[in-house]
Amino acid sequence: MTKYLIKRILYSIFSIVVVVAIVMVLIYSLMDRQLIFAQDPTYTNLGNNAKVAYQYRRWEEFGYIDYVPYSEWIADLARSGQITEEERSAVTSIGRKPEKDSPETAEYVAKFYEYFESRGYAVRRLDAVMATTRKVANGGNQQLFAYKDKPLSGRLIKYFTGFISVDNIHFASGDVGERGLTFTLHDPVYGGEKFAPAIIGNGTQHKYLLYTDSRFPFLHQNLVSVNLGKSYTVNQGVDVAETMSTPQGSYVTSLVTYPTGHTELSADDLHSARYIEGSREASAVTRDRFVDDYTNVITVKSGLSKIGYSFVIGIIASLMAYVLAVPLGIIMSRHKDKLIDKIGTIYIVFILAVPSLAYIFLFKAIGYKLGLPTTFDMEHATRVMYILPIVSLALPSIANLMKWLRRFMIDQMNADYVKFARSGGLSENEIFSRHILKNAAIPLIHGIPASILGALVGAIITERVYVVPGAGNLLTKAINFYDNGVIVGVTLFYAVLSVTSIILGDVLMSMVDPRISFSSKAR
Amino acid sequence: MSEMNKSLVDLSDLGLSEEELFSHVDHSKQESEKITAPRYSYWRSVFRVFFRKRINIVILALFALILAFTYIYPVVTDYNPYANLMNASAKHLLPSKAMAMFGRNIHWILGAGASGQSTFDAVWYGSRISITMAFICAAINMTVGIVVGAIWGFSKKVDAVMTQVYNIIGNVPYILFISVLVLIFSAGFWTMVFALTVTGWIAIAYFIRTQVVIIRDREYNLASRCLGTPIFRIAMKNILPFMTSVIVTLAATEIPSYISYEVFLSYIGMGMSDMSLGRLIYQAENAMLTPGWQFEFWSPVVVASIITTVLYVVGQNLGDASDPRTHM
Repeated sequence: MTKYLIKRILYSIFSIVVVVAIVMVLIYSLMDRQLIFAQDPTYTNLGNNAKVAYQYRRWEEFGYIDYVPYSEWIADLARSGQITEEERSAVTSIGRKPEKDSPETAEYVAKFYEYFESRGYAVRRLDAVMATTRKVANGGNQQLFAYKDKPLSGRLIKYFTGFISVDNIHFASGDVGERGLTFTLHDPVYGGEKFAPAIIGNGTQHKYLLYTDSRFPFLHQNLVSVNLGKSYTVNQGVDVAETMSTPQGSYVTSLVTYPTGHTELSADDLHSARYIEGSREASAVTRDRFVDDYTNVITVKSGLSKIGYSFVIGIIASLMAYVLAVPLGIIMSRHKDKLIDKIGTIYIVFILAVPSLAYIFLFKAIGYKLGLPTTFDMEHATRVMYILPIVSLALPSIANLMKWLRRFMIDQMNADYVKFARSGGLSENEIFSRHILKNAAIPLIHGIPASILGALVGAIITERVYVVPGAGNLLTKAINFYDNGVIVGVTLFYAVLSVTSIILGDVLMSMVDPRISFSSKAR
Repeated sequence: MSEMNKSLVDLSDLGLSEEELFSHVDHSKQESEKITAPRYSYWRSVFRVFFRKRINIVILALFALILAFTYIYPVVTDYNPYANLMNASAKHLLPSKAMAMFGRNIHWILGAGASGQSTFDAVWYGSRISITMAFICAAINMTVGIVVGAIWGFSKKVDAVMTQVYNIIGNVPYILFISVLVLIFSAGFWTMVFALTVTGWIAIAYFIRTQVVIIRDREYNLASRCLGTPIFRIAMKNILPFMTSVIVTLAATEIPSYISYEVFLSYIGMGMSDMSLGRLIYQAENAMLTPGWQFEFWSPVVVASIITTVLYVVGQNLGDASDPRTHM
C-alpha cells in the first residue's frame, strides 16, 4: 500500500508540473500580448517611442519577457564597480541617432549589443522622433534596450524552486545590527510579562517567526511561506496565497503597545511585522512607534479570508448535502416507483436539466420573497445571510448524491446477500440501513475528500450572485485582468486540491472496504 | 371417458377418405433449420417501447414545438434588435404595455427589453444559436469520445498513456482553456464550439472506456475471441449494441449540459459575442429584481430551462427504451 501510494503521489506531482507547464504555454505563448493594453489608459495616452518602451516594460512586469534598458545595464555596471560613477554619467545617455553618439558612449553601446546578443537577446534601438529639426516630439525620445522571451523551461524551474521560501537571517539588505534568532518565553508584544513563547529574528524578513496568540490555531509561524504567484493587476504585488488567506472586512482596533512604548488604539498586528529597508526613517509616524525597520504590519480585520468564507459556506453545504441526501436516497430506493420516488426523480431531473444559473436565481428570488438577505454584507455579518448561499450550493449536491445513492442501492437490492438476509428473517429496515447502505455508500465515500477540499475552491456563480467575498471568482477575475501570475498560482492550487482529493478518496475507500486493494496487480 | 370423446371429432362423421385428410410431407433438412419466432427489429422495438408511455408523446410534441420556434420562427420573422433603439418609451415594457404600444401580436407577449426589442423574438434568436451550438458540440464530442474511448478500453498500452493524459487535462481549469481560446481567436460561434470540443471529448472517452473495460472481458466476448472473431468485429457487433442505451443516455445529459455551460460562460463574461440565450441572461441580470423588468430576465431563463429539461427527458426515456431488456 505504501509503495503504491508513493508511486501515485509521484505520478500526481508529475501531472501537476505538466498542468502548470500547459497553463504557462497557454497564457504566455498562445494568448495575444497586446490584449493587456486594451484597457490601459497610460498606454493610450503615450505616443511614439515612449509607447514602445512602455509596452516592453509592462510585458516584463507581466512576466512575458526579460527586458533590460541600456541605462539600467550601465547603472548595474556602476553598482558592481566595473565602471566609475563619472564614466556612468558620461555614457548613460545615448544620442538621438547612432551617428550622434559620443565615442565613449558608442563604445559602451557596442558592448551592450555584444553582451546581450551573445545571450540570445534581441537589441532594439529607436531613433528619436523629431517634431521639428531641433525639438523632440512628445514621447519621441531615443530608446535602446534588449529583450528576450522567457523560455518555458526556465520559467517552470524558477516557479517551482521559488515555490516555498524559508525566511533566513540574511534577508534584510540594509544594516540591521547583529543578525540572529532569539527565543523568548515572554513575547514583547504582550508587554514582556505574560507567558508567551516566541522566536524573534533580526535580519529576517519577518520579525516574528513563531508566536502564539488567541486566534485559532493559537500557534502561528512566519518562517515558511508559499509563493503561488504574484499579482500584477488585481492585487498589485501581493501573492495569491496571501490574497486568499488574508482576513477582509473592517478594522478591529485594540490597545496596542508599540516597541517604543507608544500606546494607542490601533488595528495593527505587530506579529506580522515585515522588514522594509529604511522605512523607520521615512516618516514620523513609524519613527514614533518602531525601533527598527520592521514596520510593515498587517491590520487585524473582523471578517474571514476569501478562502475562509468559501470554506464555511462550502463545508456546511456539503455537510447538509450528506445529512439530507443519504436518508432521502434510502427512502427513494425503498419506495421505488412509488410517489415519493417520483417526486424525488422530478427534483433530480429539475436540478440536472435546468442550467445552474437559472435555479440559483430562482432560489434567490424565493429567498427574497421570504425576506432573507440576498446579498452578503461583511460589515454587518449575521448568520441569516449565510442561508441562501448555503442552500444554493447544497440543493444541487443533494440531487447529485440522491441520484447516485438511489442507483447504487437499487442495483444492490437484487444481490444474493440481500435475498439471503431476507430469508434469514431480517427486517427491511435492517437490510436497508445496515447491509445495502454499507455497500452502496462505498462509491459515495470516495467523493467525501473531494467535497471537503472542493469547499476551499469556492463556487463561481453562487458567490457572484450573492456577492460573497469568497475565493470562487479569483480565477475568472485574474483571467479578465490578464493577471498571469495569479492564473498560474490558482491553477496550481486547484490541481493540488483535485489530485489530493482523488488520492485521499481512494485511500478512504480502501479503508472502508477491505475488499478494495490497490497494491495487488490484478485489475 | 365419455366426456373426453365429446370434445373430439369423429373422423368418420366428416365423410372424407383417409387420402383426402392426410398427405405425406417430405422431410427437408433446410426447412427444419428455420426457427419460427416473431420478427424482431431493434429500432422498431425501441420506438414501440418509447411510445408506449403517453408522456413521451407530449414531451416530443413540446420538443417539436421548440424546434419549430428556434429554426422556423426566426426565418419567417424579421427581427431587428435595434429598431426601437431611439424610442425611449419603448424600453423595459411589460407585455400589456408593449402590446398596447405595438399592437396585439405574438412578438410582444413577453414585453420589450432594454433597447426596445421584442423579448420573445430575442429569446428564439438566442436559442437558435444555443441549441445549434449544443447539437454541434455534442455531435463532435460524442463521435470522438466514443471512438477514442473504445480504443482506450481495448488496448492496455493506450490505456496507460491516456489515463495520464486524462489526469493532466482534467486538472487544467476548463474556464482557462476556454477563455484563452476565446482570447486567441475572437469570441465567435465557432471559437466557442472549438473551445468546448477541444478537451470536452476526453470525459466522454473516459466514460466509454470504463464501460468497455467492464464488458470487454465478459465470457461471451472471450468465447467470441476464442472462435477467432477479429477485434474490430467484436467491438462493432458484440460491444457497441450493448452500449447503445448508455450512449443515448449520455447524449441526453450532454446536449443540455452545453446549453447550461454556454449560459454559465456568458454569465461570467467569457461567452461568445452572438446573442445566445446565455448572453441574454447575462445582460438582463440587473432586471431580475427591478419591478416591472422581470420578464426580460425570466423569459430567457425559463426558455433555456424548458429546452434543457425537454432534451434531457426525451434523451433519458429514449435511453431507457433503447435498452433491449425493456423490450419484452
